[in-house]
Amino acid sequence: MTFGEYVVSRWETLSLAAAEHALVVAIAIGIATVVGVGIGLLGFETPKLRAASLTLSAGILTVPSLALLTLLIPLTGLGWGPTLVALTAYAFLPIIRNTVTGLSGVDAATVEAGRGMGLSAARVLLKVRLPLAWPLILTGIRISAQMLIGIAAIAAYVDGPGLGTQIFEGLSRLGSVNSLNATLAGTLGIVIVAVLFDAFFFAVRQFTTPRGLRVRP
Amino acid sequence: MFDRDSAGVRIELRGLTKQYPGQPAPAVDNVTLDIPAGELVVFVGPSGCGKTTTMKMINRLVEPTSGEIRIGGEDVLNLHPDELRRHIGYAIQQVGLFPHLTVGENVALVPRLLGWPATKVDNRVEELLALVNLEPGVFRDRYPRQLSGGQQQRVGVARALAADPPVMLMDEPFGATDPITREHLQTEFAKLQKQLRKTIIFVTHDFEEAILLGDRIAVLRERSRIAQYDTPANILAAPADDYVAGFIGQDATLKRLALLTVEDIEPTEPFPSSNGLPRVDAGASLREALDAMVAHGSDRCATPTGVLTYSALCDAVGSNGAVTPKGVSAGDR
Repeated sequence: MTFGEYVVSRWETLSLAAAEHALVVAIAIGIATVVGVGIGLLGFETPKLRAASLTLSAGILTVPSLALLTLLIPLTGLGWGPTLVALTAYAFLPIIRNTVTGLSGVDAATVEAGRGMGLSAARVLLKVRLPLAWPLILTGIRISAQMLIGIAAIAAYVDGPGLGTQIFEGLSRLGSVNSLNATLAGTLGIVIVAVLFDAFFFAVRQFTTPRGLRVRP
Repeated sequence: MFDRDSAGVRIELRGLTKQYPGQPAPAVDNVTLDIPAGELVVFVGPSGCGKTTTMKMINRLVEPTSGEIRIGGEDVLNLHPDELRRHIGYAIQQVGLFPHLTVGENVALVPRLLGWPATKVDNRVEELLALVNLEPGVFRDRYPRQLSGGQQQRVGVARALAADPPVMLMDEPFGATDPITREHLQTEFAKLQKQLRKTIIFVTHDFEEAILLGDRIAVLRERSRIAQYDTPANILAAPADDYVAGFIGQDATLKRLALLTVEDIEPTEPFPSSNGLPRVDAGASLREALDAMVAHGSDRCATPTGVLTYSALCDAVGSNGAVTPKGVSAGDR
């Protein structure tokens, strides 16, 4: 069977796996964005909270994904549970780091002018700092998403959703019929999912970056 | 609040002190100063003398350690800081426009915070942009990054004026522009203030700027202690001590001449004899008149109403009609 024939014959399985792969990454990114940006907003001016959140999220990232997924089994069982928890945990570092960097990188004069005009601290944060930091925060989310798409493939080890199943099946039956096709289909599928995510973030960036930050002098 | 009327109100500082924790000496030490309603008072002093800190205590960007601040008789320290700041115009050297908002939105911010109706805000934005010489149709929908430095500073001034506050605090608002633009902005602003008569505290380290704009100048030494507080003419004529004199520089008399225009003194000779003399305009300063005389090697020059002599210039600054150039340098200090 050629690779093309393999893809056609397994189309339903493959497209479902790709959709699940994208979905689990999207959910994890969604949760990590809400929590991570929240931590960034609360912590960017509090050195202790900022240091703690960055150290913790960096620490998580050093745990090998295979080990983390396995360790989660007693707590969450197999399948979606450990996959989602692990992916969300891995997504935090780029999001928190870029949120903190973006918010504290806003020009001090702009903030002072805002405070001097009588904007409350909360309003300066939400109406001045956040919009100005947004392009950088979005970059953090995008990096996290790209990273998770790769890590999500490993989730097949704990019976998680996604295209990893194709890769591991292929590898475990190496030499037998369709083993190469399965591995190839899984890998190429992940590449396609990654490209689609990137295109999505490109579009989001275009639509959500304030126009005043995009204009050329 | 103190801004029921948009005309300037009196500001009183009483024993104002700022002591930062862990610092051996206070940054601002016991400043007492009255700023009359509708006057522009310049705080001038070297970098780090505490002039900006003193100014920032008035809108409570810096909280005083002790002392009292009254604006229009009202105790500022009893007001909510954010609410207080919405009634005090604030313009700084780096301008600090919000880059994600248009020029119009930047100017409209405080009026919107104060809950003005939309049409009133729109009209106000238009009026203010015209006031600072930015064509509203052209600039209203531009973003700060599309403006030159001078244009940004104009928007900064318009934004500070937006809610028509009786009091404005300005920290070197023209400092970040090139000398030509700065001079242009200063002249325009001096004219504007003549119309508006706000109470303005203006911080600068540029004594020339202080003379040009100030109704009064407070020369500050370290820890914001007042070396002299008087009108520009009086400070130039009688500096309180060597510190103030050092600030003025070596050309105090020339600076005093710059404060007067040819209209301020009576022409000494009738008009017809002015043929062949260097000419100056009615609005020209006496310094420009002196320049014209020196440039033409003449001891007189023609004004639209008559002839101005060198000795009349000397009389104007009280140097007793000294007639030799040597006399000018003797009257310097």
